[in-house]
Amino acid sequence: MSAAARSLRISQVGLRGIVGSGLTATHALEFASAFGTFLDTPGPVILGRDPRSSGLMLREGVIASLLACGRDVIDLGVVPTPVVQHAINRLNAAGGVSIGASHNASEWNALKFFGPRGSYLSSAQAGELLDIYHLKKFDFVEWDRLGKLEEAGDAVDRYLEDLATAYDFDSLRRYRVLVDCCNGTSALILRRMNERFGFAFILINERTEGVNFAHDPATTRDMVALQLAPLMKPLGAGAGFLFDADSDRVALADEEGRPVSEEMVLPLLADYLLPRGAGKLVITNLSTTALLEEVAARHGGKVVRVPVGRQAATDALSSYRPEQIALAGEGTGAVMMPRFRFVYDGIASMLAVLSMMEERGQRLSAILDGYPRYSILKGGVPMVSQRIPKLLVELRERYSDGEVNATDGLRVAWPDRWFHVRVSQTEPLVRIICEQRGDPPTALYESLVEQVRRLA
Amino acid sequence: MPREHLLKIGVSGVRGVVGEFLTPALAASFAQAFGTYVGGARVVVGRDTRTSGPMLQRAVHCGLLAAGCEVVDVGILPTPTIQIYAGATLAGGGIALTASHNPPEYNALKLFNAQGLFFNNYERGDLLDLYHQRDFRQASNAEIRRIRRDYDSAPRLHFERVLQPVDVERIRRCRFRVALDAVNGAGSLLSCRFLAEILNCELHAISVEPGKPFPRIAEPRPDTLGDLADLVKRTGAAVGFAQDPDGDRLAVADETGRILDNDDVLALVVDAALRRLPGDVVVNLTTSAAIDDIARAHGRRVWRTPVGEANVVEMMQAVGAVIGGEGSNGGIIFPAVHLCRDSYTGMAFLLDRMAETGEPVSALAGRLPRYFRRLGQVAYEHGRLGPLMQALEESFPQARLDRTDGLKLTLPEGWIHVRASNTEPLLRLAAEAGAEDALERLYARVGQALAVPS
Repeated sequence: MSAAARSLRISQVGLRGIVGSGLTATHALEFASAFGTFLDTPGPVILGRDPRSSGLMLREGVIASLLACGRDVIDLGVVPTPVVQHAINRLNAAGGVSIGASHNASEWNALKFFGPRGSYLSSAQAGELLDIYHLKKFDFVEWDRLGKLEEAGDAVDRYLEDLATAYDFDSLRRYRVLVDCCNGTSALILRRMNERFGFAFILINERTEGVNFAHDPATTRDMVALQLAPLMKPLGAGAGFLFDADSDRVALADEEGRPVSEEMVLPLLADYLLPRGAGKLVITNLSTTALLEEVAARHGGKVVRVPVGRQAATDALSSYRPEQIALAGEGTGAVMMPRFRFVYDGIASMLAVLSMMEERGQRLSAILDGYPRYSILKGGVPMVSQRIPKLLVELRERYSDGEVNATDGLRVAWPDRWFHVRVSQTEPLVRIICEQRGDPPTALYESLVEQVRRLA
Repeated sequence: MPREHLLKIGVSGVRGVVGEFLTPALAASFAQAFGTYVGGARVVVGRDTRTSGPMLQRAVHCGLLAAGCEVVDVGILPTPTIQIYAGATLAGGGIALTASHNPPEYNALKLFNAQGLFFNNYERGDLLDLYHQRDFRQASNAEIRRIRRDYDSAPRLHFERVLQPVDVERIRRCRFRVALDAVNGAGSLLSCRFLAEILNCELHAISVEPGKPFPRIAEPRPDTLGDLADLVKRTGAAVGFAQDPDGDRLAVADETGRILDNDDVLALVVDAALRRLPGDVVVNLTTSAAIDDIARAHGRRVWRTPVGEANVVEMMQAVGAVIGGEGSNGGIIFPAVHLCRDSYTGMAFLLDRMAETGEPVSALAGRLPRYFRRLGQVAYEHGRLGPLMQALEESFPQARLDRTDGLKLTLPEGWIHVRASNTEPLLRLAAEAGAEDALERLYARVGQALAVPS
């Protein structure tokens, strides 16, 4: 089977794959039919998409299936995922679908499903949805009860009006901010913020594109270094941000033109939010930087580590009261904050970083220099699924002197360093993440890569 | 109703009851097979006013885009308008979402080739194989095209062609009072524009709200058009027109409110066409012998085909006919406009004849060769069809036989046509004779041969 055909993944967080060879029209139609069957609260379904060309094809299929299930559909067009979630909540909708493969290259696409109030589906709900999909018995209504389609063009404005109540637009709009939109949906929001609220965002790669993204829309330090960071000083920008295609993730460059590790977004926002609210818990995954524990300790906070993936974070969020939680997120630049609803929202994350600069009266580089240096190394090794259990057992034996967490692959932590070896949810790879306070843990990392290569 | 008739995937495309049977995934897959068949070319998509239209159109868009086709959405339009546009714009093909005269719970995908014609038998077979094989073109992100909307050009194009052979100014000067029943179908808005604005008629229209349900049985037949007949009488209209939901079929009421026999409508139009253009005529086996008389009067030949629009069209193309159609179901096909059934051609020709002669519709119809017709149907058991046909043939030893579609027996006093339905175990009977008593005798003899209680 070709690598492209293996790209399809249908899981609790929806379905994604390379369009054509992996993800097809039939998948989208049937999964949307399952979603229409699954929804049990009244109300319309909100739909949005990122600018990939295949988004149009998938949208038509999703609309057809939802109408066939008797659901009214409100199509927001090309909008960020957080705007879809916002509209679900605002319009009291039964749920929503966001079509977009966020940080993946343009040939990919994905469907994400949301419940009432724009929340992610719990594991139990996602499991039920999957069962309906696999059973392929859908509740299609009769000809006179089919849903109606409506197109709404005001979702971005309504979202921004709400955002303006959570952040002080008056003080933030004077910042000269450079943004690499990577031809994605963030451009639509930021351009509107310039027009309507007088912000001073300078946008690059701002034309929404269906096929030719300027670069991979991944929120990583390497992508920040590509175009955003080198322009910071020449343009005299105070902060730089890079968004993925559907604007739920963000990465940073400081005013000196230094690309910042994607791992830094969450600790930065934890440092900002922990002293501000009652919530003391930071929910993150096992692969995210240990700087988080250090930052949390400064404010009497506590880090809860869960398996990698949005589903684990969603389930963890629902097992605490909202007021207990300061924020949740991962080392990819995806952060949810209580202040602007618990959804991954790159725009809100950006505004929180600017608010932090404003409140402290500090430049971004100065704030970042205030944290101890951590060095992280990440890599992947192709694998054979059946050999994974043996690999994990052997590594566990070998590193039995550390603190072991085996809830998602194997994470072993020592006082100044840790590693995490786990199976990717998106590719047939074993991922190896290794971090140390101070210099890079090169020897440990290379040894791990070597062992995984031998055993995986 | 037997379950198998709720969904039919066959040589005429996909037709079924929307919901449990005709699902969005099925429509999308069929569209993707179609998109694969046309090699990812540009495809025109339009629909009639059925409530399931928007849902199915999205599914069809999805399948076509997935096959790498560019989609041109022409919105709600009569089927002939969609066909004309597809042919004229050099598209790779077209899809109309319409179940024509079927009840509102049905819908269907009608498929057109690059010329905007219904797929012929061979094309349909190829497509069906492709659909079953499921080996569709799967466009990558970079290959996926856009949806373009063009709601205006198609009607303009259609009307230009319809009006070309008639004297528009002469019709306009008459300011005919016209009644219209558009069954809230795809022709609702266009027909009003056509009659009131373009042809300057004083229009009295009912059921011209495309958002509302069909107010009557969708098929325009004498027994379903009571409202039109009343409208004609109430308004004193010179003529009344009725369309089916996708605007390809036409029925006509004369100035007294009498709904003309569909065979007579076709005969009037054939006569009008042959007055203007030289050429042959193609009709199906069940169409009235009046057509033969009219063609003979113009020195033209009539070709007969099996029942079905596609069959008539195929023959018209092969012999280069100037006019054709199917009498029993109100289908008028005028190739100078397009090789498809078109209610607008019928309206234009009739109004033009009225303007030319200054005569009322009843007088025009009254001068047609007079025939008496009777239609019927009889159920048969599977496996009994052969012996029934045999018995029929043996009871008319002196008749001229035609076996191209069931059995047609032509006798000096009239003809009988018996054919099996494509969708149900029914024999459809049609008989015609020059005198009423001859017709009754003929029909009774058919009944005896088939052991039908008459």
